This record gives sequence, structure tokens and C-alpha cells, in this order.
Amino acid sequence: MKENVVIIGGGVAGLEAAKNLHRLGYQTFLVEKNKKLGGHVATWHKLFPDMASTKAIIKEMVEDIKDVTVFLDTQVKTIESAHGGYQIAFSNGVNVHAKAVLVASGFELFEAAKKEEYGYGIYDHVITNADLEAWMNGNKDKRIPASPKAIGFVHCVGSRDLKAGNSQCSKVCCMTAIKQAIEMKERFPNAEVYCFYMDLRLFGKKYEDFYINAQRDFGIHFVRGRVSEVSETIDGHLQVKAEDTLIGRPLKVQLDMLVLMAGMVANNQIKPIVEQAKLEIDSDGFLKSSDNITHIIESGRDGIFYAGACTGTKTVPETVAEARAAALAIHDYISGL
Amino acid sequence: MIDRIPSGFHPFVIPFLIGMAFVLLYCFGAMIRVLYELSWQDRKKFFLSLLNPKILLKDIKDIFLNCLIHVPLWKRNKLFGYMHSSIAFGWFMIILLGHIEVLLFVPGRINLFYYPIFFNYFVAEDDVTLRGSLLFFLMDFFLLMIMSGIALAMARRVKNYMFGVKRMARPTFLNVVGLYSLWAIFPLRWLAESFTAHISGGSFLTIPANWLFRQFLGNELYMLPTWWAYSIALCVFMCVLPFTRYMHIPAEMLLIPMRNAGLKVRSSRKGFARVEFFSCPNCGVCIDACPMTVDNGNVKDCTVYLTRQLRRGNEERIQEISDKCLLCGKCEALCQVGVEGPGLRILERARRDYTVPFNYPAADKSVDKNHKVLYFAGCMTHLTPSIGRNITELLRKANIDFTWLDQQGGLCCGRPMFTAGRIAEAKAIVANMEKLILESGCDTLLVSCPICYKMFREQYNLPGVEIVNYIPFINNLINTGRIKVEKSDICYVYHDPCELGRGCGMYDEPRKLLGRSAGIAEAQQNREESICCGGSLGSLSLDFAQRENMTKAALDNLYTSNADAIATACPLCQATFARYADRPVKDIAEIVNQQVI
Repeated sequence: MKENVVIIGGGVAGLEAAKNLHRLGYQTFLVEKNKKLGGHVATWHKLFPDMASTKAIIKEMVEDIKDVTVFLDTQVKTIESAHGGYQIAFSNGVNVHAKAVLVASGFELFEAAKKEEYGYGIYDHVITNADLEAWMNGNKDKRIPASPKAIGFVHCVGSRDLKAGNSQCSKVCCMTAIKQAIEMKERFPNAEVYCFYMDLRLFGKKYEDFYINAQRDFGIHFVRGRVSEVSETIDGHLQVKAEDTLIGRPLKVQLDMLVLMAGMVANNQIKPIVEQAKLEIDSDGFLKSSDNITHIIESGRDGIFYAGACTGTKTVPETVAEARAAALAIHDYISGL
Repeated sequence: MIDRIPSGFHPFVIPFLIGMAFVLLYCFGAMIRVLYELSWQDRKKFFLSLLNPKILLKDIKDIFLNCLIHVPLWKRNKLFGYMHSSIAFGWFMIILLGHIEVLLFVPGRINLFYYPIFFNYFVAEDDVTLRGSLLFFLMDFFLLMIMSGIALAMARRVKNYMFGVKRMARPTFLNVVGLYSLWAIFPLRWLAESFTAHISGGSFLTIPANWLFRQFLGNELYMLPTWWAYSIALCVFMCVLPFTRYMHIPAEMLLIPMRNAGLKVRSSRKGFARVEFFSCPNCGVCIDACPMTVDNGNVKDCTVYLTRQLRRGNEERIQEISDKCLLCGKCEALCQVGVEGPGLRILERARRDYTVPFNYPAADKSVDKNHKVLYFAGCMTHLTPSIGRNITELLRKANIDFTWLDQQGGLCCGRPMFTAGRIAEAKAIVANMEKLILESGCDTLLVSCPICYKMFREQYNLPGVEIVNYIPFINNLINTGRIKVEKSDICYVYHDPCELGRGCGMYDEPRKLLGRSAGIAEAQQNREESICCGGSLGSLSLDFAQRENMTKAALDNLYTSNADAIATACPLCQATFARYADRPVKDIAEIVNQQVI
């Protein structure tokens, strides 16, 4: 039983699936376009709700697949249906005939500069959630003041926003904002921290506790209302205008830095594969599953499976669970079950 | 030429007389109603304009050029122009020549209303005269001209695209009756005159036909039925005319003098507006012009359907059509008779009762006083902060003494309220702003948003303050040497924003400024034909999915230029295009600022 299986994408979904498929005895090929494994999660600092270090998580996952063939800095050039499987050519020159293919291509972070009204790339102290995590990981960022007195977080940047072309909720940003707000408050106890939100979607285990902590123990201000505009004052501060919809009044706050919670959008780099393998794109721009209840990991095409955020926004635990499920589904498929 | 029928009457003229009497009475009644509906100031203005020889001369000239020759149609498409002017001008000439014939040959009958129309039946040729044959020749010539127009009109039903119009409004039943009766009138007249030509004489069209028909038909037998048919066709056409699009023929003759008198629409239903919507000829130019009709959507929300529903008084549809429009003004710019689609819709919105109270807080702002230039960015520029930043940088580079009126945001020019039809609320905002601007002691109000700029130009009274758009202002900075720019290698296609182009008539200044700092290319449809970006604040009911299609269609038009990037001069266009464009979208201010040396 040495059938070939190709996994496209080396994020948490691809890593978890690779581990399981390898254990099931398949010749597994993991292809990753970047020079490093771990995807978006690897760029993060800590994960809620346990504040687990991503470094440790990714390190463990990568160790688990040390016997799997991994192609880094490599992309799928062509994929075509052949002999009851798929003939796949990689950009590194390798050709593989795989019995099954797992698409674990994930998402892309919404380009915050597209919401020009928030001033990302224009004002000096506007960053994204990803920039903040990179800074916490030790990267220097001169947009973050040495001792900020007031920090703002804007939820739903590019999510649930028809104007930005995305109707979907990115699921994780509410919690990420709360997590980052607490982390900032821990670093700068004298700073006032504001979160501007439409709704708080705190559905997961311990999420609500996190929210209560943020308010009770850290004194973080939650303002229900979208930010209408951001401007820069002459002395370099940011002035944020929003509406507090709970009291029905417009609100103006002066901040030293603003963090935009850029959401998840569909990964467009997967498009050539989608076309060649004749996969379907759903109305939200993500890959279309056979159905959205019991067959999320199935593409509707024989031998092609999905795992993780390529079919829609997902949390890390959801992604990991899907990756295992997909490994098992591939095993069933190849075993002819 | 002598009188052939001693009584000078035949019963077949009765249908014509009925039709003529009906249409004249109807039009007269309608005109009285419109004049009654005008405010007394407008009525006075209108009557005085008719006494002013200069305006009167212009009225006559405009009616001749627009209603008979159809000059605007010629400019749009030669075939389309010829089709209309051949019928209108030809018909006019036939009626005129008919009267000349009666005056020349049987002057005693000129008091008979129908005589010039049926002249050939009532006369017999006694001797061949030169003037007679010349008139007969001209009559046949114009009849041929009309019939060529009718032939083109028939061809248009099959090959519409040849006439520069892709889509037509769906004709109503009565419009079809009117159309077929109009088509029937002239061939029937030709037949009637041909069957009579051996008695009355004729020319190159009627005499050969007479000879031909005589070979196998007894002329006398067919003579009367064709005259009857001709008269009945005229009767049908004139009886349905007030209820069809052909009402534009008499209505436009009232519209032109009223417009020349300086009247404006003050209500969407009465007075001048009534003349306007009766003047709509249903040509369909506005359907092709409308940015909402991309992929054949929203066709029934174009101005041609607004005028139709206004005539019918269909409240539900009027409301729907009025709310949906983007107010881009392209239909009005291309309209052959000048129906004010956006203006009528704003007035229509103003008729409603709003349940949401208006509580715009009075501006509690203070302005930094005693700067010459007061810069107003507006809410849209605050949503595209790079524009405000680039403009203020340019002002600093040019050492302009300025202050920023709304640096912290929160001031509105009033335009959104105005386009929503909430005129009183808009005026309250305007009054507030006027006070603030005048208190600042500035002499120039610099505006970077064309939406605000149009509002300032049209609705504000700011004595001693010059209202300037940033495009000519920056051009002037370069002209006077306060800043210098060098040209970049990037080629931009310039998108004319609705409010700056059609709204304020500014087409050349932005191109001049852009051309100084970068390469410039033109899109297939530009200037007054520029396509709305789809982001307009004008629409009250379009959703984002529909707007997305419009934006993409507008982008496709810009892509025809093969430029590297898109330049525009409106923050709203920039933000809207940037969402879907496959190449950079920049405001001219940013492009210029990058090229300052």
C-alpha cells in the first residue's frame, strides 16, 4: 500500500493531514509555496484561548512529518486527471501521479489598504493584526510608539463588508482583537484600549470568559459601532470617529495607534489549479464543498479533497479536525470503501 | 389648374377634420393647463420672452433646427438624423407647398382647412405651367423623401444598431397604433395622388405610377377608396397622438420657448415638468446611456420609463424609478430634447414624507481665521485620506497660506440631503456652512471633491469668496511657477467623474493637469459620455451586487485605453474603482504631488 497522495499547502491543515496520511502508510508529498512550513499560524505569536505559543505548536507539527516528502518554495504547475488519479507537475520539475489530492491552500489576509478610510499605509501609526503579531514575535515596527497612551482596535476590516466584496465573517478576529487588546494592555498598563465592533461573535470554548476578563480585569473599552473615518492630527495622533450605537451618539477618540483586524479572504493563488482540475468556486469566493454540513471536505470531484480555510473561514482547531477527517476520507477513498 | 368639384367638399375629408379638431383641441387644452400650472412669475417670464424679439428669433430657430431638422440626432448618428428629418421636414414642406398651391391656383379656397391636404383630388390640370410642374415636382420630391424615411424606420425595427441606438423602450399598444398609422399615411397619399394624377397632374413619382396602374387597374375605381384611406390614416394618427410618444411633436414646440425663457422645473409633475415629460420621444438613447442597464438590467428604470410613468401617474413605479437612479446625468447629457432625468427624480423624492427626523447637529466648529485659502475636503475625501494628504502637501510646497476647514472631519456640504430630495434640510446645512466659511475671512474656498464642488457652485451664496476646484487651482500653481512638475512615464486613462464633467462642465482642466505630470490616454466613452463608477450617492435603492456590475462595466470602458493606470478627480470614483480595478487607481492630486520637482 504505497499509493501517492499530494497535499497542496503546508499550513496547519496540510501538516496535520500529512502526518496522518503518512501514518496510514501513503507516500505523501507536501507542497508549500513559501520557504517555510506553518502558513499563517507560524507568523502569529500566541493562540487563544490557551495563549499557546505558535512556535511550539508548529515545531511539533513539523517534527511529526519529518519522513514526509516536502517541497518548499514550490507550486503546482499543472494538474490533470489521468489513470484513475491525477498527474501533477510541480514548479521544481518533479512529476507525481497521485491517487488523491488534498487541497489545503488556506486563505489570504484581506489587504487593509483597500479600506483606505482607515489610513493603512497612509497614516504613520496604523497597523494590522498581522503586523502586531509580527512585532510581538520580535520584529521591529516603527509604527508602534514606544509607550502608547491610547490604542484602538477596529474589528471586521474587510469582513462582513459588501463594499469590500466580502460578506463572510472571519470568525477569529473578534477573539484575536480581544487577545491582542489584553496583550497590549499587559505591555502598556497605562494605555487606554478601545475595541470598535459591530457584533462580538464569541462562540468558542472559553471565548466569552476572555471577553469578561478583558472588561473586568483589563478595563478595555468596547464600543459598539463602526469606525466611520480616521484622520491624522497635525501632531501625528490619530483621530477616530465612530458612532456608539448603544447610546446613539457620535464619538471621537484620539489614539496613538490603531490596529486593523484584517479578515480572511479566499486565496486567489489557487485559481489555476481550480481551473485545471475543474473545481467549483462558491458564491463567497472560497472553494465549493459537496455540501456544507456532512461533506465539507469533499470537492465533488473524485480523488480531490479539501481541508481548512480553503472552503471558508475557520479557526485552528476546526482546521486541524478537518485535516484529520480528510486524511481518513482519502484513506477510505483509496481503499475503495 | 381649375377647381374640379364645385362644392369644394367630399365626405372623405371628414375623418381628417375629426382628427385635426381633436388633436388641436387637446393640445390647446393641454397648453392652457400647463400655463395655468406655472407660477405667476414663470408665466410672466414666459409671456415676456415671447415679446422679446431676440428670444423669439431663437425660439423659431431652435424649433426649426430641433423639431424639423433634428440637428442633435444628426450629431449622434447620420442615418438616425436623416430618418427623422426626412419625415418631419418633408411633412412640413408638403403642408407648406400644399398651402402655396392653394394660394396660387385656387385662392378662393384657402379658408377651407382641408384643401391643402387633399389638393390633388379637388383640382384638375387645364394647361401645363412651369410653376405648376415645379410645385408638383417638389411635392413628389418631398413625398419620396418622407417615404425613404419611413422605409428607414421600418428597417430600424430589424436592424436597430445601424442607427446608433441599441435598445428602444418597449412600445405600448397605442404607440404601435400610432406608428403603423404614421407609416400608412404617406404611401396612401402617394397611391391616392397616383390614381388621381391623370386628372390633377403630377410629377416623377405620381405620373409613372398612374400610367402603370392604368395598365391593369381602372383608375377611377381606386381613386376614392385611397383618398378615404389616406384621410382615415391621418385621423387615426391624430386621434391617438396625445396618448402616444408622438405627443413629443407638439410638446417640444412648447418646451423650446419655455426653456429659452429661462424656466426651470420646480415640481416633478406640473407646469414645465409636464411639458418636459410629454416631450420625451421614447427614442431609447437614455437606455443605452444609463449605467444601470449593464447586462440589460434595470432597463425599465431609465428616464424614458420615468416620463412614461409620470404621464400615466403610476405612483409605485415612479417611486421605484426615482429612487434607483445614480443621478449620473448621462441620460440628460445625451437626451435629444433635454429631459432632465436627474432633476425630475430629485423633485419626485422631495414629494415624500420622511419619517426619520433630521437632527444634524449645528456646526460647533471654529475655524482658524485669517488665512487666504480655506480648504474643504468633504466626507468622501476623508474616506480616501491620501487625496487630502497629497493636496495639503502640494499647498505647503507652493507656500500657500491655507487652513483646513474640516481636518477633523464632520462637516457636510449638504449634497446627500439634496439628492435625497430633502431640500429644506439641505438648506439648513448650507446656511450653517455659509456662516462658517464667511466667518473664516478667506477669499478662496478650495474644494477637492466634485460632489461638494457642484453643491457649493449651485446652492451656496458666498459673497467675496471664490469657490475653486483643486484641479484648476493646481493648474494655476503650475502656471504661476509656484510648483514645478516633471512628466512620468506612466500612462493614465482619465475617468471623468459625473459631478465634475457633466455636473460642472469641467473636462479639459483635469486632462491638462494630468498631461503635465504623466502620459494620458482616452477611454472609448469619455467626457459627457463617461460612465458612472457605480458608487454614486445618488441612488437610494441600488445594492452592492448591482453596483459591482456597473463598476466593472465602467472599468471595462476605461481598459479600452490600454493605459497603465486609472486617474480620476473624485474621491468616490477612486474608492469605488479601487475595489475592483486590475490596475492602480489614483487621484490626479496624488499623481501631481509625486511628480513635483
